[in-house]
Amino acid sequence: MPRLTVNGQQVEVPAETNLIEAARKAGVEVPHYCYHPGLSIAGQCRLCMVDIEKAPRPTIACNTIATEGMVVLTETDRVRETRKSIMEFHLINHPLDCPVCDQAGECWLQIYYMKHGLYDPRMRDEKVHKPKAVPLGPHVMLDAERCILCSRCVRFCDEITATGELGIFERGDHSEIGLFPGRALENPYSGNVVDICPVGALTDRDFRFQVRVWYLDSAKSVCPGCARGCNIDVHVNRRRPHHAEGRRVARLKPRYNGSVNRWWLCDAGRYGFTFVDDKDRLLAPTRREGETVSDATWDEAIAALAAALRRSPPDEIGIIASPKMANEDLFAVRRLLDNRALRRVAFRVPPRVAGDQDNFLIRADKNPNSLGAELVGLGGDSRAVLEAARAHRLRCLMIFGHDLLASEWPAAEVREALGAVETVVFVGANANATSAAAHWVLPAAAWVERDGTYTNFEGRVQRFRQATEPIGQALAEWEIVGRLLAALGDESTATRAEHWFRQLVAAVPAFAGLSYQALGDGGRLLAGAVKA
Amino acid sequence: MTTTDPTFSAEQLAEVRRLQALYPDARGALLPVLYMAQDTFGWISLETEEYVAGLFDLSPAHVHEVVTFYTLYFRERPGRHVVSVCHNLSCHLAGAGSIIAHLKQRLRVEVGETTEDGRVTLLSVECLCACEAAPMMQVDDRYEMNLTPVKIDRILEGLA
Amino acid sequence: MTDEKILTRNFHRQDSHTLDGYRATGGYQAWPKAQAMEPAAIVEDVKASNLRGLGGAGFPTGTKWSFIPKTHTGPVYLVINADEGEPGTFKDRYLLERDPHALIEGMLIAARAIRCATGFVYIRGEYVEPWRRFSAAVREAYAAGYLGKGFDIVVHRGAGAYICGEETGLISSLEGKKGWPKLKPPFPAIKGAFGAPTIVNNVETICHVPHIISRGAAWFAGLGTKTQGGTRMYSVSGRVARPGLYEESVAVTLRQLIYERAGGVTGNGRLKAVVPGGSSAAILTAAEIDVTMDVDGLKNAGTMAGSAGIIVMDETVSIPEALMVVARFYAHESCGQCTPCRESTGWIYKMTHRIVEGRGRRADLDTILDVARRGAGTTICAFYDGAVGPYISYIEKFRSEFEALTDGAAATPSRREAVSHA
Repeated sequence: MPRLTVNGQQVEVPAETNLIEAARKAGVEVPHYCYHPGLSIAGQCRLCMVDIEKAPRPTIACNTIATEGMVVLTETDRVRETRKSIMEFHLINHPLDCPVCDQAGECWLQIYYMKHGLYDPRMRDEKVHKPKAVPLGPHVMLDAERCILCSRCVRFCDEITATGELGIFERGDHSEIGLFPGRALENPYSGNVVDICPVGALTDRDFRFQVRVWYLDSAKSVCPGCARGCNIDVHVNRRRPHHAEGRRVARLKPRYNGSVNRWWLCDAGRYGFTFVDDKDRLLAPTRREGETVSDATWDEAIAALAAALRRSPPDEIGIIASPKMANEDLFAVRRLLDNRALRRVAFRVPPRVAGDQDNFLIRADKNPNSLGAELVGLGGDSRAVLEAARAHRLRCLMIFGHDLLASEWPAAEVREALGAVETVVFVGANANATSAAAHWVLPAAAWVERDGTYTNFEGRVQRFRQATEPIGQALAEWEIVGRLLAALGDESTATRAEHWFRQLVAAVPAFAGLSYQALGDGGRLLAGAVKA
Repeated sequence: MTTTDPTFSAEQLAEVRRLQALYPDARGALLPVLYMAQDTFGWISLETEEYVAGLFDLSPAHVHEVVTFYTLYFRERPGRHVVSVCHNLSCHLAGAGSIIAHLKQRLRVEVGETTEDGRVTLLSVECLCACEAAPMMQVDDRYEMNLTPVKIDRILEGLA
Repeated sequence: MTDEKILTRNFHRQDSHTLDGYRATGGYQAWPKAQAMEPAAIVEDVKASNLRGLGGAGFPTGTKWSFIPKTHTGPVYLVINADEGEPGTFKDRYLLERDPHALIEGMLIAARAIRCATGFVYIRGEYVEPWRRFSAAVREAYAAGYLGKGFDIVVHRGAGAYICGEETGLISSLEGKKGWPKLKPPFPAIKGAFGAPTIVNNVETICHVPHIISRGAAWFAGLGTKTQGGTRMYSVSGRVARPGLYEESVAVTLRQLIYERAGGVTGNGRLKAVVPGGSSAAILTAAEIDVTMDVDGLKNAGTMAGSAGIIVMDETVSIPEALMVVARFYAHESCGQCTPCRESTGWIYKMTHRIVEGRGRRADLDTILDVARRGAGTTICAFYDGAVGPYISYIEKFRSEFEALTDGAAATPSRREAVSHA
């Protein structure tokens, strides 16, 4: 563990740490473009120059390993001058189009120019022209003129996805990023190149021109797209809703978690949030009588549901919970089981198409909380629940989120089952064919509209936080079930997700010792969890 | 000019394997195999790049990087002969400018173009390292040195 | 100081490129001697000879060889840089065509010194005839049993890129990639071609090695100056009566080369400026030619020996035009990897072009100087520093000539006609 001094401050860093990371540890930011901790060292941008005692001239920090006793200075006059020069070099051929560039506000050319540049521009010659607004694939747009050729995107495709779609072609100031002509950037992780692009060269086709980034708010969250539970930031547009036709969730960005997803996020997860602002969102409780659907109040809905549960013997009540629900919701369901002594419960519904999986992030299980549902004790035979319904042995069936009619089960059998139950209750965020067949439909808040936790396939419990208000009258499932429990006489003091989590921790040994505080931003592995 | 799928013969494929085995990493043979492809197909088309990428198990983008980096791989079919005039310092001092002007006028092309009959492509290039014989040019494989308009005319006459 | 020709001694022979011709003049005599020596002893001899790299950097050859880790057990590679490309230089072309066996014998000895079983010879792609000649010599050497018994040579052709003359750019290219120079550390002697310890030496450097072994380090050292042994091949071109290749002691002066060997200045007969070591070397004025041509002599004169390519300009030569031609070269050949070089070589060419066309401003001159100074030393390889040599020296030493153009007057029409823009 070498100890070194950065701007007079002593730090101790692991062996093989470079000076950018060593400085970071000392609280010192060394500006850089091409360096990315998840990629190989390129040393191309030349911005991360620092002074090292006894070295004849500034050296790039990214390719210099910290050694014992090293004395590093990041703010000497000559380092500042060098940085300023490098900024000028970067901007020689860069177009002056910030007002129409979607990266404005989160562009490291802008940020570093203000911090380290501020020279008088003297480039008056014609800039080199390159292709602009080139779609590279379904998600990524290229503006080659804005590119500073840091090669991060190229290295990402070489080193992380090993798909090698991108290259730097030609040479000198005609060098340009691109695809092999006729090919597309469509690997399952393509959106990451937008995140790591420090400038406006690679932008997100879904996000670009929706809203200026300075109008966005952010909340720490977890991707619900599969059992990996990649850590994300949810960026929401609450301040300029009219800029994006009312779309609230502007984009998802991966959030570093060294134990889960590092810096990355798959495209399926990144762009899988559209259901949140979809037209099929359920806005209010509804009741269906025959073909007639009418709005109801929450009180009416809860009362009706409580009545249905009361008049049904426990054996004639089925619950199909969902592995997309949070631990808090699932524990509330568990309380309901205990309260009514229900046994016909399950949460797994087989998908019609098996999920894809790779050896990087993507898991075949497209649910964020299967392990949590199992640990909370909701594992059961969902097919048996369905068969009981078909056999007219259920009077009440509660379905959380699933579209049973889009599952692997034959639709005719599902329809038969739904038609054979006196009270079918659907709780979910979006309408689907199953909700259309339910007698009661209760709107649930989407994951970005509430707090909660998921347990990923490795047993890591991770928090997600509310990023925006629930749409319409939607409520978190724990609250819906909580109100139902209250109506059934099981008055709970749990008025926040965190309360439910505390009760869960107290009741389920696997979660022992956890708390929201302990989970922090990176989550915690359950005791006894075995890393897959 | 129509493009057919570029494919090496069995003998050429054996040569590719021989070249790949010369290097500690087979990729070392990429430049020589691109030369083989250019000799065989006349130039390096995108189809050729993809074909060669397949022989090396490389992404086509990585082959494209290589082809676009070097000046000796032709990305368009050149004329039957390629005339490359050095325009660097020693040749400049020896009148490379008037040599190029003479060639443009005789061939009726601009630098970078091919004569209409497909006979000659005219290029101007950086130092070919025959400065003792400036002005000079490369005609296909040969260095033609100590150029004069008369000598150039004689050389052009010899190009079929 | 010597008049003896060593590297070029056989150039007059019709068969100098053949095995018979080489052996008839004492070739392959050093190799048996080296085979009887311990590798370390060969390295020590080369160190003691004061042989310095003749490709451009001038690094002591024996010292370079000694950087191969002693404890290394895997493969080690010897790579010969025959990617001659420095404007004004043509020596390696002659060696490959006229004395290819000298290179092979030198490689055998060098390979023994660094315990290497495979050598690569990287020949620039345009050198078709030199490549054929050298390849033929390699076949002869295999047939005669010099090669293939513990040492093999792979001949590799470049494909048109000046940057591949930079040793790590060359390694990238040899590996089948574009010729982007590599970050240092690691240095090639630790992690070079294909990830193995690698020594990259210039053709001419290695051609000296058999003579050092045959005639002794002291003899070789005595041919040159205190800090550099031997002779080297000076490529002389431009406005001189007898442009050509001249082998001389490194203690020769630039004046001697221009006036005694190359027959003096042509044009109007009056010397204006000289590029002493290939286009990357800072230019010297007529008043600065009394310098010895060894590495340190030229370094002390504020320029460099480089590749010993000498380009002579008489008073009728337009220095701004010359700089534009040189700037065009660096803009064309920048590999594009490091931002300062990639972005400013193109910009500086645009400025010099504008100046020559009479559209320059006086401030452009200061901008070029400032940009060049700011970029110097900030890049992965020495390419940009090589470009900075001419940028700064041409303008600083001939500023009034540039200023005359920035006053709004273009170069005279006769001059402009001689300028081509690719």
